[in-house]
Amino acid sequence: MEKIFTTRSILLWILFAVVMCAIPFLAGKGFLRICIQAFFLAIYAMSWDVLSGRTGYVSFGHPFLVGIGTYATAILSYRFDMPLIASIPLGILATMIGGTILFLPALRIKETYFALVTLAFMELIYQLTQVVRPDLTGGTRGISGIESITTGAINNYYLSFGLMFIIAFSLWALMRTRLGNALSAIGMNEEAVKGCGINTTKLKLFAFLVSALVAGIGGAFSVHYFGSLAPRNLFDINFLFTIIVAALIGGSSTIIGPMIGALFLTFLLEYLRPWVPGTERFFIYGIVALLLYMYRPSGIYAIFWEVVDKFKGKNASSIKDSTSIQGVK
Amino acid sequence: MSVVLELNKVVKRFGGITAVNELSFNVNKGESLALLGPNGAGKTTIFSLIMGEHRQTSGSIKLRGEEISKLGTHKRINNGISRTYQVPRPFNELNVLENIRVGMMPDSIMDMIWKKSDEKLEKKLADNVGFSSKEYYRTPSELSMGDLRKLELARTLATNPEIMLLDEVFAGLTVGEIEHMSQLLHEKRKEGMTFVIVSHDLRSLEPLVDRAVAMTFGHQIAEGSFIDVMADEEVRASYLGE
Ligand SMILES: Nc1ncnc2c1ncn2[C@@H]1O[C@H](COP(=O)(O)OP(=O)(O)OP(=O)(O)O)[C@@H](O)[C@H]1O
Ligand SMILES: [Mg+2]
Repeated sequence: MEKIFTTRSILLWILFAVVMCAIPFLAGKGFLRICIQAFFLAIYAMSWDVLSGRTGYVSFGHPFLVGIGTYATAILSYRFDMPLIASIPLGILATMIGGTILFLPALRIKETYFALVTLAFMELIYQLTQVVRPDLTGGTRGISGIESITTGAINNYYLSFGLMFIIAFSLWALMRTRLGNALSAIGMNEEAVKGCGINTTKLKLFAFLVSALVAGIGGAFSVHYFGSLAPRNLFDINFLFTIIVAALIGGSSTIIGPMIGALFLTFLLEYLRPWVPGTERFFIYGIVALLLYMYRPSGIYAIFWEVVDKFKGKNASSIKDSTSIQGVK
Repeated sequence: MSVVLELNKVVKRFGGITAVNELSFNVNKGESLALLGPNGAGKTTIFSLIMGEHRQTSGSIKLRGEEISKLGTHKRINNGISRTYQVPRPFNELNVLENIRVGMMPDSIMDMIWKKSDEKLEKKLADNVGFSSKEYYRTPSELSMGDLRKLELARTLATNPEIMLLDEVFAGLTVGEIEHMSQLLHEKRKEGMTFVIVSHDLRSLEPLVDRAVAMTFGHQIAEGSFIDVMADEEVRASYLGE
């Protein structure tokens, strides 16, 4: 098996960190704020990718997971005056537990139904947050005035980038092990994985727990960054599609792909704002996603490597195969 | 001779269809048993029942004297039974070595993460079934039917079985590939592997088996040496259409 940490891959990670850490010295606050949004989206997209991109169990319920994380954290912090050091881990834990209770039965059903069931969860929690204990959830208005971890665009930039970077690197290393192979194999042919003597339910549960952990981290930290939450935005179908599209156009099953996808999408949406102020923007990215997906199903990340290899005069097609399996070259 | 696998009055109904009907037979350690029967007789269904991919409606299946009917597929595989499929089921985006790697994987997440795969053994298994080193990195779409059956066999061998259930091993192979496959199975037999083999290619099958069980419409019609079973009137009527 290939080594997990090759010199080249470590150098690329370091380069990535260095470039991203330099940005606050070069760009304005507005730009940094967009980056922060992109980093959180990247966290959600990676969370989605670990479960759905790999195993083929498409989750339409990720806003639901993020929702548990944000609500739990916000309620603990705002209503119960818990310090951040408690509200964030508890919020993440709540995401993993709450998610597992509801998703676990769903992981035993076939892929298509899985998507439907998870979509139903999102709708369910949307309704619940408005009806059950609105004194805690803030009902339709949500909660605002939540304590922040740090102030200023630059600090928050480093915080959110650090989070995203740690998550990305950990997931990347994890997926380079045989576990990554096994999860991808489930996506290709789950029966055959069982036929290799592997308990696929256990594997899927593990992938789900990792996914929920990452979604929970994203949710818990983001609510402290934004300082508010509103059910309408959180359980919005556009939010769901933004997560999925970010993972898919970037290049599913690659970790790096969903990050690129999230940055690309966030900036695309931001720069389209002056021309297309309403939700029509989502149509445009829908079309971009569709085009990319039709012509380059392996995503922006694979295109990047093709270009690199053209540059070096290597054969590009061999790269595309290996990116889909190994996560990264 | 000790019995390793024992089916007793196994019944499987799919809705109104009785695919397997009160079928009983034993497989002895180290022997090779042919499972014969016309299309739709229930041969593949029996394999799925033994593997736990389907659950029998009634009856018992024992492995080394212990009832395994309640065990999940992965547990049965970890207990030493493994099968190939009539239609090969490779992992389409993985290459030959990676396919074998999944077959060799431990059923423990921690081991998957912390223990490296044994590339030497992967290559040995690939070589064993007749892949050349330049074929290691091919994906299933670049392989012939013969290669896919080889890969299927290698992946099954990778689970380190004691009993192998082979479903239509020769289907779709060229004459040369059949010869190679036979050779390989001969070797495995010599090493002491226990086999249950389903094949419509009787001529290739005959030299590979010690005994045969013939069935039609889910129930057994004959059992004994391959020659005796093939001479049986009912077998000739149902199987060979005579
Ligand atoms: N999953 C299933 N659902 C419903 N019926 C099934 C199922 N699997 C098999 N059958 C039925 O059970 C019977 C036995 O099928 P099986 O595939 O076991 O036969 P076979 O002996 O392997 O045939 P062949 O030689 O064509 O492979 C057939 O009538 C088939 O239609
Ligand atoms: Mg069959």
